[in-house]
Amino acid sequence: MTNPHINPPMEKPSRGVTSKLLSMWQHIKKDRQFLILLIPCIVFYIIFRYGPIYGVIIAFKDFNVYDGFFGSDWVGLKHFETFFSSPDFWLLFRNTFLLGIYTLLIAFPFPILFALLLNEVKHQLFKKTVQTISLLPYLLSIVVIISMLTDLLSPSRGLINQIIAAFGFEKIHFLIKPEWFRTLYVSSDIWASMGYTSIIYLAAIAGIDPTLYEAARVDGAKRWHMMRYVTLPSLIPTILVLFILSTGNLIKIGYEKILLMYNPMTYSVADVFSTYVYRKGLLERNYSFATAVGLFESVIALILLTSANLLSRRFGGNSLW
Amino acid sequence: MVGEKKFSLFSMINTFILACVAVVILYPIIQIVSISFSEPSAVIQGRVYLWPIGLNFDAYLEIAKDHRIPRSYLNTILYTAVGTFINLAMTAVAAYPLSRRHLFGRKFWIIMIVLTMFINGGMIPTYLVVREVGLLNSMWALVIPNAIWTFELLIMKSFFENMSESLRESAVIDGASEYRILWSIMLPLAKPALASIGLFYFMGHWNSYFLPMIYLRDTEMYPVQVVLRDLLIKTSATETMGAEGTVALPPEAVKNAIIVVTMVPVLIIYPFAQKYFAKGVMLGAEKG
Repeated sequence: MTNPHINPPMEKPSRGVTSKLLSMWQHIKKDRQFLILLIPCIVFYIIFRYGPIYGVIIAFKDFNVYDGFFGSDWVGLKHFETFFSSPDFWLLFRNTFLLGIYTLLIAFPFPILFALLLNEVKHQLFKKTVQTISLLPYLLSIVVIISMLTDLLSPSRGLINQIIAAFGFEKIHFLIKPEWFRTLYVSSDIWASMGYTSIIYLAAIAGIDPTLYEAARVDGAKRWHMMRYVTLPSLIPTILVLFILSTGNLIKIGYEKILLMYNPMTYSVADVFSTYVYRKGLLERNYSFATAVGLFESVIALILLTSANLLSRRFGGNSLW
Repeated sequence: MVGEKKFSLFSMINTFILACVAVVILYPIIQIVSISFSEPSAVIQGRVYLWPIGLNFDAYLEIAKDHRIPRSYLNTILYTAVGTFINLAMTAVAAYPLSRRHLFGRKFWIIMIVLTMFINGGMIPTYLVVREVGLLNSMWALVIPNAIWTFELLIMKSFFENMSESLRESAVIDGASEYRILWSIMLPLAKPALASIGLFYFMGHWNSYFLPMIYLRDTEMYPVQVVLRDLLIKTSATETMGAEGTVALPPEAVKNAIIVVTMVPVLIIYPFAQKYFAKGVMLGAEKG
């Protein structure tokens, strides 16, 4: 890839090759200090990024610790067949996509709305305070967030259930009710990430040409109208890019969160590809099978990202690459 | 800022909505702090809604006595310090050559690096590589396999790209080596960028529970987030069974006291870091 001329067509005189190699060598020599600086990075990427990519071959093998990546026996598509024909497959498929789609459709607009509203605040101190507060959840670990959620929803002492009881309804044991899981997952996601994501929109709003607002004001537009007809349309490119990214991440469900949230009673809705990979692979040590499941998930994710990007480029003119 | 417009219906509704948002976000955080300081009886009866009832430090004394918590806290500090340092060193040292426009094979290196953002081996092969390399059950398993985050590397690279060339050229004329230029000219000038990506690395280490959970077997090596996770799983298990412990100290109070202790350093850094924080997000957004 670095040099396509290493193997030139036969009829070319070999002098061209040697001079090419020579100039390459001179280039390397000139950059030698830079390249030495780059060595740790290259080693890191080879071992810890490309190593695992190569390691994916165990999805087609029966991996065992003694034979390692290289020695284990090839088994072809056995693990994929087992996975696709197991009753878990459709359940995981459904759970993963539903959680992803709910998060995308419900959580996505919140940071936009929040940024739009925050932008309309004229009182600087209030604006700054609200924004600072909105960023706080980003500082908390997922363990802390789920711990808060558990406390709030606790049937014995949680605030939510105390309110429910005060109105005379029966207390709900939210965390073991499958029908509540998705709601809780999405709403805690909004709570935790809204402020953070809105930074991007606020910066995009700050970059809008002020003359647009002046023109609108001359035309007699009210603030509501400016928000609707100037700010929001100007945000469309940013929204599109973030939407593509979110679509690409659609099935990358936050397994670290689900692992803390779910329990045997909610597995039927909460178990997704990545939590399944964790249980099968790291808890049951079924390495090859779990790798196959993970590979399937990655392929779907890549297809989603590429097609979202393609669609956006075709219709909106914005794309990641 | 008092003007006629401030009292328009739109402003009033807007202010009201945003105030509600702020309350909803802040409330659970305040409640955690309050529960950790409240009388045990009030916590058990679920009477702590917003402010602490009574003032009681038993939960904090309890976690200070329990040998697990102080040790895990020290572990977290160690992993975060070492981890962030290695992250910053690796990222800066890699970003500098990559920012040179005529670097040998530059396009190839960058493509190979960016590609890893879209294609990765996944959880199991990564785990097996870490094990194969012999890092399992050591601090290095938390530090080395994620020594460089590609995103932060690209941020750092674009920061170096935008730095003035003239400074470097005068140093080259003076006969300085590239290592010297990086160390004495580039890094001091890159402090804002280092602060920005350092913040993300710091948060990543401080708050991580999953990697220590899968890579560390020795409970003595657990960072505080893993201990907290064990407590969370345990308390929610008793909740599920409907069993209420009759210990003098309610588990919520202890758990929340640990949470408060883990939040304090982050909250202290936060006011100073907020501008770097926003900058990091923005740089990332431009790159993304």
